[in-house]
Amino acid sequence: MSITILRVAALLYVAGAGSYILFFARPKHRGAVRLGFWLITVGFFVHAASIGAACKEYGGTEFFNLRGGFGLLGWVGAGAFVLLQRFYPIPAVGAFILPLVLMAVLPGFFGLGPRAQGPLPNVIGKPALTVHISTALGGVALFLIAFGVALMYLLQEREVKGKHFGALFSRLPSLDALDRLNQRLVRAGFVVYTVALITGSLVAKHAWGAFWGWDPQQVASLVVWLLYFALVELRHIGVHGRRYALLTLAGFALVVSMIVMGAVPNVTRHRGNFQ
Amino acid sequence: MSGVFLVGLSHHSAPIAVREQVALAGEGLKAALEELKSRPGVREAMIIATCNRVEVYVLAESAEPARRLFLDRAAAADGHLYEHRDASAVRHLFRVSASLDSMVLGEQQILGQVKEAYGVASAAAAAGAFFSRLCNRAFATAKRVRTETEIGRGASSVSQVAVELVEKIFGDLEGKAVLLVGAGKMGALSARALASLGASRVLVTNRSYERARELANQTGGHARDFAELPQLLVEADVVIVSTGAPNYVITSELAQATMKARRHRSICFIDLAVPRNVDPRCGEQPDLYAYDMDDLQRVVHATKEARAGEALRAEAIVEAEVMAFNAERETRAALPVLAALRQRAEAIALAEAERTLLQVGQKLDEKGRRSVEAMARAIVNKLLHGPTARLKEAASSGDSTLPGAAAELFGLEPDPTSEGAKAPEEARAALSEKR
Repeated sequence: MSITILRVAALLYVAGAGSYILFFARPKHRGAVRLGFWLITVGFFVHAASIGAACKEYGGTEFFNLRGGFGLLGWVGAGAFVLLQRFYPIPAVGAFILPLVLMAVLPGFFGLGPRAQGPLPNVIGKPALTVHISTALGGVALFLIAFGVALMYLLQEREVKGKHFGALFSRLPSLDALDRLNQRLVRAGFVVYTVALITGSLVAKHAWGAFWGWDPQQVASLVVWLLYFALVELRHIGVHGRRYALLTLAGFALVVSMIVMGAVPNVTRHRGNFQ
Repeated sequence: MSGVFLVGLSHHSAPIAVREQVALAGEGLKAALEELKSRPGVREAMIIATCNRVEVYVLAESAEPARRLFLDRAAAADGHLYEHRDASAVRHLFRVSASLDSMVLGEQQILGQVKEAYGVASAAAAAGAFFSRLCNRAFATAKRVRTETEIGRGASSVSQVAVELVEKIFGDLEGKAVLLVGAGKMGALSARALASLGASRVLVTNRSYERARELANQTGGHARDFAELPQLLVEADVVIVSTGAPNYVITSELAQATMKARRHRSICFIDLAVPRNVDPRCGEQPDLYAYDMDDLQRVVHATKEARAGEALRAEAIVEAEVMAFNAERETRAALPVLAALRQRAEAIALAEAERTLLQVGQKLDEKGRRSVEAMARAIVNKLLHGPTARLKEAASSGDSTLPGAAAELFGLEPDPTSEGAKAPEEARAALSEKR
């Protein structure tokens, strides 16, 4: 049941992403933006329903694997995108972000199911864990969007600097707009991610007996946190533009390697990071 | 037989020395319209007068009144005038409105100017039903060309390109400063264009402080000493350089020091000087964007080329609209003849029916009397069916001889005022709506 609902949600995302891409390719179709926005919004709620149904069906364990975890990430990413379009409406961003969101959702399209290894940890159901999971997802989703925006910045910078005044040049937003959006996303992501780290250490105290235990997962997430902390601070001393965009890309590369590392068996005791 | 005539001169046909002799504006324009109206044979008139063209359109027996208007004002105009009539004149008006005849292909102002010309002619009661229909069609054509082709796309002047570039780097210029180095005319133009993007400050500097102050007054900026240049480069975000200096004013070392002092905040150099004033190596600095005259002109050139390509599609639209307008006009020309013919025939039929009824009416009941009237009408309809169809067909295929022949044959006098009497109100309503 839940998988059918999830497939509907995924198809809505595909149609929404298609609308935004159509707008990017043919800017005179302004209506595509409205359509895309509503498709993604409806998709987000359908996706929420599928998550609820899945919890009933499998008891929540289906999210403790790579597919389920990415599905949740895609859901939070879609929600973040809807909020973003609502408060900073730059429709061109959709053509770059939504394919990333889709990539996170699509693995789940082909099947869901309980795939957690071993017994469930005893911390399940603790409020700290709920906050930890949702903020970790939220932080990563914001970093994901910042990554897409930084990519757009670098593309546009190449066009502007290289004097190619073609289709990309005219369709991508101004460098200043992209740079400011990137900064906002990084800052918001950093705040949310900080909460995830604090609640994470609370959960660790419960599960492993100590706030800090040199677990590879803990080390990796601290490195990510430090990098984004540096990004926020560097902004204050005036770093921006190309260098800032490159650092954002590097930051997200680190986030991805952290997730992949978590999925490798027997590296970390950290559960739910998609192993 | 009257028709539309156009006599005019434009940047294509006449040098500015001649154009300024026949320039018309304000009261002069109204006087010219009055003058045209008073000429015998002129039924309607309109004058389009811009700095690039003066064109007189008349609905008249000949082009002579329009020609006279020019030659009375400047004998030199002779030899620079072009003349068109009927379909050709209509086509010319449509092309002008759609900006296909403009100096800068696809520019937007001309349509407004044509609308104004019609407004003035209409207010002076020089333009009537015919020009109302003609101009409405011209406005619709221009709108079609603008929406269905990309003739208005892109930047068509150097300062427009500069504005577009700066927009892609800084978005709007709110809170940003523009620095103008040197007193070149292009520089001042571009600075003014950029100030309209919302720049909070315009700074002006020049080797001669006097000149800088003069220019600052013109552009609404602040004059600064030329020796302060390194400091100014730190303050400004967009720098327009157009001095007459034969060497680099912004050297690569200066640019490097500037970027360091700015902590790599983005800066954009627009070098309008030839020879160049900004060392091309400056562009190697990250977050520094430098463009020279060649870069800007390349964009202008690309725009022109793209517009020339679009112009072909626009011409096809104009041609279709001209044909549609002419077909409509011919049909309208035939309608008065048809109406008169039918009116005459029906009058005869009814009169004959009445006469018959007077003689034999008592012997018939109400139903019988009605059938006699119906029979008379049926004969008229059957008889006129063929000629009506043929007249309509001839009119819509552009043949105006048959309606004329029919009028001649039946001794009809079509009423010229019946040609769409409520059209001027429609046109005026459309005009005010567009404003």
